[in-house]
Amino acid sequence: MKAVAAPLTNKEKPRKSRFWTTFIRNKYLYMMSLPFVIWVFIFSYYPLWGWTMAFQKYKPGKSFGEQKWVGLEHFRYLFNDDTFYLVLRNTLAMSFMGIIAGFAIPIIFAIMLNEIRHMAFKRFAQTVSYLPHFVSWVVVAGIVTKLLSAENGAVNEFLMWLGIISEPIQFMAKGEWFWGIVTVSDVWKETGWNTIIYLAAIAGIGPELYEAAKVDGASRLRQIWHITLPGIRTTIIILLIMSIGHLISIGFEKQFLLGNNLVGDYSKVLDLYSLEYGLQMSRYSFGTAINMFNSVVSLILLFSANGLFKKFTKESIM
Amino acid sequence: MIKTRKWSGIALTTALVAGLLAGCSGKNNNDNQGASPSGTSSSSSTASASASPETLKPLNFSFYSEDPSPNWTNMQDDVGKVITEKTGITLDAEFAVGDPVQKSALIAASGEYPDLISAKNSINKFVDAGAVLDLTDLIEQHAPNLKKLYEGQMSRLRYSNEDKSIYVIPTYALINNTPFKAEGGFELQHRVVKELGYPKIRTVADFEKAIKDYLALHPKDENGNPNIGLTLNADDWHMYISVTNPAFYTTGGADDGEFNINVDTQEVTYHFRRPEEKEYFRWLNHMNAEGLLDKQSFVQKYDQYKAKIATGRVLGLIDQQWDYDDGEKALKAEGKFDQGYGHYPVTMTEDTKDTSYWPTGFMAGYGIAISKDNPDPVRAIKFLDFLASEEGQVLVNWGIEGKHYKIENGTRVIPKEVNNRKINDATNFQKETGIGHYQNMTPRYGNGVKDSTGNYFTTDNPAQIIEGYNDVEKEVLAAYGAQTWIDLFPKESEFKVRPWGAAWNIPIPGDSETTIIENKLKDITWKRIPEAILAKPEDFDKIWDAYMKDLDKANVTKAEDLREALVKERVALWSE
Repeated sequence: MKAVAAPLTNKEKPRKSRFWTTFIRNKYLYMMSLPFVIWVFIFSYYPLWGWTMAFQKYKPGKSFGEQKWVGLEHFRYLFNDDTFYLVLRNTLAMSFMGIIAGFAIPIIFAIMLNEIRHMAFKRFAQTVSYLPHFVSWVVVAGIVTKLLSAENGAVNEFLMWLGIISEPIQFMAKGEWFWGIVTVSDVWKETGWNTIIYLAAIAGIGPELYEAAKVDGASRLRQIWHITLPGIRTTIIILLIMSIGHLISIGFEKQFLLGNNLVGDYSKVLDLYSLEYGLQMSRYSFGTAINMFNSVVSLILLFSANGLFKKFTKESIM
Repeated sequence: MIKTRKWSGIALTTALVAGLLAGCSGKNNNDNQGASPSGTSSSSSTASASASPETLKPLNFSFYSEDPSPNWTNMQDDVGKVITEKTGITLDAEFAVGDPVQKSALIAASGEYPDLISAKNSINKFVDAGAVLDLTDLIEQHAPNLKKLYEGQMSRLRYSNEDKSIYVIPTYALINNTPFKAEGGFELQHRVVKELGYPKIRTVADFEKAIKDYLALHPKDENGNPNIGLTLNADDWHMYISVTNPAFYTTGGADDGEFNINVDTQEVTYHFRRPEEKEYFRWLNHMNAEGLLDKQSFVQKYDQYKAKIATGRVLGLIDQQWDYDDGEKALKAEGKFDQGYGHYPVTMTEDTKDTSYWPTGFMAGYGIAISKDNPDPVRAIKFLDFLASEEGQVLVNWGIEGKHYKIENGTRVIPKEVNNRKINDATNFQKETGIGHYQNMTPRYGNGVKDSTGNYFTTDNPAQIIEGYNDVEKEVLAAYGAQTWIDLFPKESEFKVRPWGAAWNIPIPGDSETTIIENKLKDITWKRIPEAILAKPEDFDKIWDAYMKDLDKANVTKAEDLREALVKERVALWSE
């Protein structure tokens, strides 16, 4: 208010007064956004206070002042635990495989769908491909184990019919194949769904570009290379940066449902570890420590990915 | 990937907000309802005792249980209505779905406790949080029936040596229970023993031979699918039931969770370290090498396991009845009674006894606790006291006289049509009558105990069980010279009483290091045991040695020592 009252001729504070003028002019917009700012604060920032638990020996039912402080003990335990490194390896491996497959395939699929001229078939293919997204992982895990079963499993039957193998393979019992199985099931389930956003981006490319290219005699492939792909570049990069941010927190649902004791060394992931060794044992503090580690790593990944892309491609989300 | 996460995020947020709102409103309800009675109870206990109409004033308790109860009808069933009529109490119950331990941990951490808590071993979390009341005085002053029921066992109700309060009214452990039903042991399909002329099934070698001989005669079923010799259920915690527990049942060790405890010296060993058990797993390894063990055993999920049993192709099982019941029920529904299973007391050698029925004595532990948020603990203990009365127990077990049972010549009997519904329309019957809903909240006597009228408290008695058998089952039992399956098993009286009850039911202090070590040991065991069983027989010893080394590295001796201390404490506490 004071800033507005100050004479505009004052050269010292033009920035500030400009801010307040805009603020006044847009006061309704600011007021409208206020509930959401509060919402974000309550749900995203206020819980960060709970991070203090990671440095305590937290016991429920006691007030904050009564908790015992233990410093970095939980982190020390975490970084000295062999299991932690195992689950971290599994998490990162499946994450990277997921990002590579989960990126390349939907983009290729979106471009292929876009090239289909027959509208009815295009719609049909699109619907069929994204339907699995709505199937829960419990069901998908059931389908996958059935398909890969050594006992009348479709994949084994097919391979035996082709004569590639003479005895059924126990797919689900081979630890080293587990990451692949998870990635492939994920691709099957999510490709169609992830394609939608690229199709939307492709739809936003002006048709005059294609027409101009055609006039210049560009082939279909040339059009894809010089128009479609550059057209969705921004979308691709934004999504990529965001998924790099989520690299370490991939959930545990699919690994938990598809895994079994034989492949435990390859199927246990960080989130499951924090559940088993944290919450289930009432080690709330230890669980918090793991999640802090998670958040910090995610943040670092996000910022470095963002920074790298900003530098080399001039595209970024921040 | 991102899309999914966003959506699940939104869904989760909605659920959280809804949960918050629900939680808040639930709390308010309780406060409103609790406000007036709590005033009276705090004034004096005698006041509420003398004014009997007031004690029946409707009161709603929130209740949390770790056990699921899918048919729960909010006490709108026959038995529930009578309980409400007699006590004025209604329960707003929540039953854990999914992982109960995790749910309990969440509730304990939330600081908002239900009025009544039934949390099995997780009760330690509530005790640590100071969330539950000491019931010693409440029982003394307001609960004559509970006192009568637990006569001579009161010291077993106490929590620990350091904290001798009573936090839990035991409702899972039955008093003076005589087991009538055999649910465990090794199982063979009736057609197998029938076709082979009822061979003796006593050792793993007998069991193996029966399966092998039958498979040689009938390698495939009528549809041309191969019959399966033996399948195991290794999905998650079923691992304990079907894979690892049988290792001590067959080698003369009692069920003390993951430990074997010497009954005289109370020396504790992680039970896989016993040399006898190595031989048991070697036998499973041998079964696998012979092709008698289902290759899918460690890969299949629980539903696939049950579905497999329902096809009738599985000749042998090593499991508990309740764990494979759904599969067998499907077979019975199709009238394939000869593909149902009998229970046999199989052990490694003939001179060891199957320990399935090694008695534990009365075990406190699992049961109901009253939280500090309870608006009226006196009414709560009186509610439990009513359930523990003779009237309450008969009501909970049998239902309502004239409706669900009648008295003929002084004996309680269930009319045929009621019993038929109970067996064949179990779900609807339970929803309507409520029989089976309240057992886990009732402090009660076990099978074989008679009430003041000379009738059994429970509906399970030998005559009733034999009546439930089908003809094939009766024929097989007759051929083995038994009336019920439990006749084949060693009797309870053949075993030494364990002065600590059972180790799996000893509460572990919340911050004990043993919880972490034991979970590490579990991870190792669950990985190594399947590996050892599926290995080539010549590699078995090598894997076993590696397994033992892993255990040492994970500090197994420390876990044993910590457990031993707990067992010794329990013995001291109970024998006072």
